[in-house]
Amino acid sequence: MGDLLRLHFKKPGLKTSIQDFGRTGFQHLGIPIGGALDKEAMIAANRVLNNPDSNPVLECTLIGPEIEFTGAGNICLTGAEMNAELNNELVARYKTLKVKTGDVLKLKGVDEGCRSYLGIQGKWNVANWLGSYSALSSYLSENGFMASIQRGDELEVENIKVNEDFRAPTYKKPYYSSCYIVRVVTGPEFSRFSIEQIEDFFNKIFSVSQDANRMGYRLNETIQGYQALQEEISSGIIPGTIQITNSGQPIVLLADAQTTGGYPRIANIISEDLDIFGQMKPGDDVKFMLASL
Amino acid sequence: MKIQPFGDSSLLISYENEISEMTNQKVIALFQLLESKKGITFQIPAYNSLTVGIDQDIWSLHEATIFIRNQTSDALDFISKTNKEYIIPVCYEGDFAPDLNDISNHIGISPTELVTLHTANCYRVFMLGFVAGFAYMGTLDSKLESPRKDSPRLSVPAGSVGLAGLQTGIYPTQAPGGWQIIGRTPLEMFSPERNDPTLLKPGDSVRFRAISKEEYQIIRLKIETGIFKMEVSLG
Repeated sequence: MGDLLRLHFKKPGLKTSIQDFGRTGFQHLGIPIGGALDKEAMIAANRVLNNPDSNPVLECTLIGPEIEFTGAGNICLTGAEMNAELNNELVARYKTLKVKTGDVLKLKGVDEGCRSYLGIQGKWNVANWLGSYSALSSYLSENGFMASIQRGDELEVENIKVNEDFRAPTYKKPYYSSCYIVRVVTGPEFSRFSIEQIEDFFNKIFSVSQDANRMGYRLNETIQGYQALQEEISSGIIPGTIQITNSGQPIVLLADAQTTGGYPRIANIISEDLDIFGQMKPGDDVKFMLASL
Repeated sequence: MKIQPFGDSSLLISYENEISEMTNQKVIALFQLLESKKGITFQIPAYNSLTVGIDQDIWSLHEATIFIRNQTSDALDFISKTNKEYIIPVCYEGDFAPDLNDISNHIGISPTELVTLHTANCYRVFMLGFVAGFAYMGTLDSKLESPRKDSPRLSVPAGSVGLAGLQTGIYPTQAPGGWQIIGRTPLEMFSPERNDPTLLKPGDSVRFRAISKEEYQIIRLKIETGIFKMEVSLG
C-alpha cells in the first residue's frame, strides 16, 4: 500500500473524462472504441510519471477542471497548452508536479490545442469495463456507469509504483497550431465521387464547426456543387472515417462515434495523424492530403 | 464479394448491394469464421459488409486479403452454428406505444392488425449499431413499412420497440431516435454489468410476443429479483 491521492472536483471543466487506449473488439455489439483522442499526449503523461503507457489519464477539453487534492502524489500535464495553476502559480507541462493535501489545481482555457491530459502516478481505483477505463458517450452516464466528470466527483489513486524499472521518459512533445495538413487514404466510396468533387475536397481549406466532440467533427464548408449520392446501406465506421453528408458537409468520425453509418465515406485519416486531429478545436483550419498505403 | 483496404489498418469486405437474409448470412458466416483467427483486432458486421481490423504486427493487409479470399467458400458451412432464437415479450399498449395509432392509420391497418403482423414473423438480427446493443432486425411484412418520424424524439425510453422502413429495432438504452415506437419490452437489452452486455448478437433470430401491462410489470419484477428466465432456443 502506498499513499493515497484523492481528487475532489470542485469544477468539472467543459468535458473531462477518464480515458486510456479504449476498448477494441466490441464494435460488433455496437460498442465504440473510445479512448484518448490524442494518445501520444496520454502516453507522454504516463511516461513522465513512469506509469505504464496504458494507465488511465484525465482528458480535459478546452476548459479544464478545478481539482483539490488530499493525500500525496505526483501528477503531470501534457497535450494542449492549457493555462494551469497549482495554488495560483503557473505550472509547466510535461513535468512531474508533486501535490499534497490542500493543493488546488486549476486548469483554465487553452492557448493552442484542444485537449490536455492529466496523468497521475499509480493505480487508479476506478471501474474497468471490457478491458478499458475509458468513459463512453453520455448514455452510459445515465446508468451511473463511467460518466464524464461532474462537479463534486471524487477520484482515488494509490500512489504505488506500477512500473518496476525506471526508464528514461521518451515521448513526442508536439507543437500545436490552428491549421493543419492531415493525411488521408481513399475511403470505400471514393470512386462514387466525381473528379470535380474530389478536387474540391483536396483543394479546399475546411474549418472545424462548433458541432465537434468526441463522436465526430462536422466541418463548416461544403463540397462545391455536391448532389447527394444515393444513401448507402449502413456499413462500418472506424476512427478517422470522413463521411459526406447530404448537404455536402464532411463529418470526421472519432473514437466515440457509432460503429456503423450510411453516408458515403470519401476518405480516412491515417492513424498517425488522428492524434493531432483530436487537438483541433472549433474554428481551426484543416486541409486534407492524399497519402498512399 | 469485394475486399478493399479501409483506413490504414482495416479491410472492408462487401457483398451484393442489398439488404437480404442470404447476403447477411454470408457476412455473419465470415464474421464467425474470423472470430477465432489470430491477427484480427475487431470486426463490424453490417447488412451486406464486414469491416475487419488487421493487426499488422502479425500479418499485412495483403496477406489478410488473400486469407479471407480463400476462406469464404468454407465459411458458409458455419452459418448460424452459434446463433440463438429469442422470444421477446413486448407490451403494445398505452404509453409504451406512443406511435401505434398514428402509424397504423398512416399505413392503413388497425392497431390490432399491426400487432398481429409484428408478432407473426421471425426476424433476423442483421447487425448491431447506432448505440451499444441496438439490433437492426428485419424483414418486416411489407404492410408494416413505415417512414421515420419527421423530427426525431430527443429521448426514447430503454426497451422501446420501433419501426423504420422494413426494419424493426429495440432501443437498448435511453437514446434520441426517429423510429415509430409501437411497444416496449421489459427485458434489459443492454446491461454493462453483465458479462455479455448485449442480449442480441449479429445473426440471432427474434420473435415478438404480445404481453399485457400486468405481465410487463411481472417480468420487470422477475428481472429485478433475478428469477427471470429468457425464452431462448438454439436456432
